Amino acid sequence: MGAWLTWLRNRADNVAVALLTATFLLFILQIVSRYIIRQPVGWTLEACLLCWLWLVFWNSAFTLKDGDHVRFTILYDAVRPSIRRLFGALAALALIAAFVVSLPATADFVSFMAIERTSLLKIRFDHVFAIYLVFAAAMILRYGWRLVTILRGRDADAAP
Amino acid sequence: MSVNFLLAIAILFGLSAIGAPIALAMIAAAIAYLAVAGQDMALAAEQILQGLYTSFILLAVPLFIVAANIMNAGTISDRLLNFCVAAVGRFRGGLGHVNVVASLIFSGMSGSAIADAAGIGKIIIQMMTRNGRYTLGFAAAITAASATIGPIIPPSIPMVMYALVSDTSVGYLFLAGIVPGLMMGGVLMVMVTVIAHRRDFVVDDPTPLRELPGLTLRAFPALLMPVILLAGIYGGATTPTEAAAIAAAYAFVLAAVFYRALTFSGTYRILSDSARSAAAVGLVIGGALIFNYIVASENIPDMVARQLRAVDLSPIVFLLMVNLLLLALGCVLDAATILLVIVPLFLPACRELGIDLVHFGVVVVVNTMIGLITPPYGILLFVINATTGAPLRAMIAEIWPFLGALLLALLAMTLLPDIVLWLPRLLGYQG
Repeated sequence: MGAWLTWLRNRADNVAVALLTATFLLFILQIVSRYIIRQPVGWTLEACLLCWLWLVFWNSAFTLKDGDHVRFTILYDAVRPSIRRLFGALAALALIAAFVVSLPATADFVSFMAIERTSLLKIRFDHVFAIYLVFAAAMILRYGWRLVTILRGRDADAAP
Repeated sequence: MSVNFLLAIAILFGLSAIGAPIALAMIAAAIAYLAVAGQDMALAAEQILQGLYTSFILLAVPLFIVAANIMNAGTISDRLLNFCVAAVGRFRGGLGHVNVVASLIFSGMSGSAIADAAGIGKIIIQMMTRNGRYTLGFAAAITAASATIGPIIPPSIPMVMYALVSDTSVGYLFLAGIVPGLMMGGVLMVMVTVIAHRRDFVVDDPTPLRELPGLTLRAFPALLMPVILLAGIYGGATTPTEAAAIAAAYAFVLAAVFYRALTFSGTYRILSDSARSAAAVGLVIGGALIFNYIVASENIPDMVARQLRAVDLSPIVFLLMVNLLLLALGCVLDAATILLVIVPLFLPACRELGIDLVHFGVVVVVNTMIGLITPPYGILLFVINATTGAPLRAMIAEIWPFLGALLLALLAMTLLPDIVLWLPRLLGYQG
């Protein structure tokens, strides 16, 4: 199981690198078009913002481990492993609950956004914002997995 | 302040305290607030998505991170160090001075203290502890202290965050950071001199002066970077975000073409690391956006302002109190959380007391950067501990004099706004 998970995570990482590279290159294209060719193309900025939005949620969903996040760990690191498991379980439960109860309303909002399109590239906003649903679902799965791992008596940090 | 809001605060602190990622804790707290208040729970996602999508200046964050990581991976850091050794290594405690000057120059290219400590800091700690000339604790402590300058001298990710929450101009904020940054370098070098004489550090063989032009030339393209950035922004040619992209492109061309220090797999690793850091920062900003939305809808900042008006605080006392509060918070919280969540609470009060928001911004950013080295929770101490193996206890024992010097600099900036505002005013800031 570990092997295919690593494989998947590496592919997710490929996508993340592609998104960041795209942001960077689009920005350069924008600068070149504006200052060197002097024929500004507006869509590059919009495309950059789209890449950035996807970059944040794609990575948050698939490539960021707990250690990559901004966390407050003084207490967590100081307590016994059994308490740490309790902490991990409580945090997982709370996060699962928050994302699960807000999922229906959030899905409604995202599909409602189908009526709008981005101003230049004319991409439907429900497609743009769908990445948040992917992120929310990934959080529910990840913390669900974590909870199961902890309940089976293993260290919380062993879960993906 | 409603019961719902207190519940949200309790959830935020509770989840953060037990080790949940702070960004996710903010989202969960916001959802709980909306659920209990009977509001649409989709507001959480809406605020985060719209906020991230419409905040153009945030694009500077991933670009600055890429630029800093490329600098660290290429040989740019080494060339800069050789130049610094030749320039200031001849004094007693020379490598301590080199450490500070290298941070000053490096901070003109990177917007992140952590990149500074992990990159150039790691190399210089190795140089300092070779042959046992300096103790690991001292080397690590001065590295951590000088890394705090990174985000004060532009470019600066924390200042971009402050600009986002306060609606001040990033350009003027960047400009306002230059003098305070140099001042922080100055006080640290004074402290190095004092310690070097007291402990009688060895004087290294000076690099012959005739080698200086050659070393300067080798480091020149890297030294040019801050100039390009600042000239671009203040010449009015580019926006700070565009300058961030130019910085990243310049660093890439330098490392890949001129210095030939980048391989394909190396570049991939840089991008992958940068993507992860950028996303972690982006998610915290997103969480702060929804949380601040709630704080604003509860009118908390106005309440703070009203309370302060009731006790009739003078601006100076207010600034000193905010500083003390942020320093205390800095011992346990990270800079992004303080800047994005705590600082906005005080902005209306600042406006009411007539405190310049650019001045306030630089003071709080310097404050939170000092927070990065205050024990027990100082990210910079942890980063250096992780990259060099310097024991935390030894580092903390040596950090106090530098911490004291930086606090004095902070006090001066707080009391004398001209230190901060002189340069921006010179270049057209009306405030």
